[in-house]
Amino acid sequence: MTATVCPRCKSGDPITDYEGKQDGATVWTILRCPTCNFSWRDSEPASAIHPVSRSTDFAVDAGNLRRYPKILQQ
Amino acid sequence: MNDLPNRARSISSLRDFLGLLEDAGQAITWNERVMPEPDVRNIAVAASRDANGAPAILFDNIAGYPGKRLAVGVHGSWDNIALLLGRPKGTTIRELFFEIAGRWGDAEAQISFVPEAQAPVHECRLEQDINLYDILPVYRINEYDGGFYIGKASVASRDPLDPDDFGKQNVGIYRLQIQGPDSFTLMTIPSHDMGRQIMAAERAGVPLKIAVMLGNHPGLAVFAATPIGYEESEYAYASAMMGAPIRLTKSGNGIDILADSEIIIEAELQLGERELEGPFGEFPGSYSGVRKAPIFKVTAVSHRRDPIFENIYIGRGWTEHDTLIGLHTSAPIYAQLRQSFPEVTAVNALYQHGLTGIISVKNRMAGFAKTVALRALSTPHGVMYLKNLIMVDADVDPFDLNQVMWALSTRTRADDIIVLPNMPAVPIDPSAVVPGKGHRLIIDATSYLPPDPVGEAHLVTPPTGAEIDELSKRIREMQLGAMS
Repeated sequence: MTATVCPRCKSGDPITDYEGKQDGATVWTILRCPTCNFSWRDSEPASAIHPVSRSTDFAVDAGNLRRYPKILQQ
Repeated sequence: MNDLPNRARSISSLRDFLGLLEDAGQAITWNERVMPEPDVRNIAVAASRDANGAPAILFDNIAGYPGKRLAVGVHGSWDNIALLLGRPKGTTIRELFFEIAGRWGDAEAQISFVPEAQAPVHECRLEQDINLYDILPVYRINEYDGGFYIGKASVASRDPLDPDDFGKQNVGIYRLQIQGPDSFTLMTIPSHDMGRQIMAAERAGVPLKIAVMLGNHPGLAVFAATPIGYEESEYAYASAMMGAPIRLTKSGNGIDILADSEIIIEAELQLGERELEGPFGEFPGSYSGVRKAPIFKVTAVSHRRDPIFENIYIGRGWTEHDTLIGLHTSAPIYAQLRQSFPEVTAVNALYQHGLTGIISVKNRMAGFAKTVALRALSTPHGVMYLKNLIMVDADVDPFDLNQVMWALSTRTRADDIIVLPNMPAVPIDPSAVVPGKGHRLIIDATSYLPPDPVGEAHLVTPPTGAEIDELSKRIREMQLGAMS
């Protein structure tokens, strides 16, 4: 399965970080969203990684990343 | 399995401890093929239902990770903690508490240094083209975590402003989220040692190098989570508490590390940079929010041959996190309270890192237990964590919740409570109206003393003490024997 959007913030162009291989075949791929930093494996259950089935409670607002607080401010 | 105390003292690595656990029937190997998600999480959660007897689980057949090994639940039950302390399976939590409390402050550290070339942890070394996913068989710990987490890392660092001071080296457990092949974020707060060091390095514009130790001496994982003073070395403390030597060596970036750990990740803080981190299913059983956290760049990795990646399941309790830190949350509060009030007889702060604590005390006068409770709130751990306190008399075992409920039922009036509003609170407490600020509750479930007019009831006195404890264990053994 090749993802075109991030399951969490729906941004495009995920980066492939790693392919798990066994006996020469790719078993799964780990992807990362360059917008919200969500990382996922394409073999995970749909409830965690499918943009439609995934709970919206954990969505990240890609249009307003400033709302997320920065820790350890001077 | 004779001479458990000596066997425990001879442990120098995770592998030694897994061997001990296996001999005692407390470690199993899961060699059936599993998917990283959701299988590893499901198996870890199923194991942690048995807080008393769950085994450690070693996975060696994870799809997509041929040849890699993963251990979970190493500290996942009281029986495993008992074996680490040189006590037999079936030792009660109360006995384990007094085992720890008795070691507090009266032992000496034994630290030895191993040349880097002879340290098992440096058997294999990577300095280029590092991809953490190629080394660690990670899995999503909870379903909505923001990524793949290293949940049981002991992170070692030197004070960036005083790098030559051994005592100011910090070792602590912090959650790390992998952020691409060679980067990770680290979550901390300003009051934690690592938070102080990050802020100091960024203020002064000096480098902060760290060494992330994975798969460690099982004593370090326990004691690195114990709140001790900033200038006390966690290595020295762990050695003293274990009554056993600890072998250190140097990481490639100059930090003292355990010579027998499975994996070391060397990394450097990216000064002033923050990246989105979280959520993460945390110990209160709820997810933390998404925040921007400091990010570290990996500079090198050392590991033993065929390393074991040790990780944890943490989330809604009961989990390995609770058995890992519960007694070592309770024992310091006990020791600190007894400096002011020797009337304190035990402290049970096992629940959600002490968000609820139960303290037993010899009540000296009417209302005395409330005074002791207020002192508990000013201990280092109490300042942020002790939210609900239940005070019971010394004739109630705070580790026996049936007895605690008896005290609540028979010795508490509705006005025997104190609510302290708008106190400091641990930011991830989901009940807080505002993260970081909340109310404290003290329930005085001790008996009545003059000038209270009611006085103590005429109590039934069933037999108690060591003889009854032994009989109870014997009945349990006979029951288990009848089943086999």
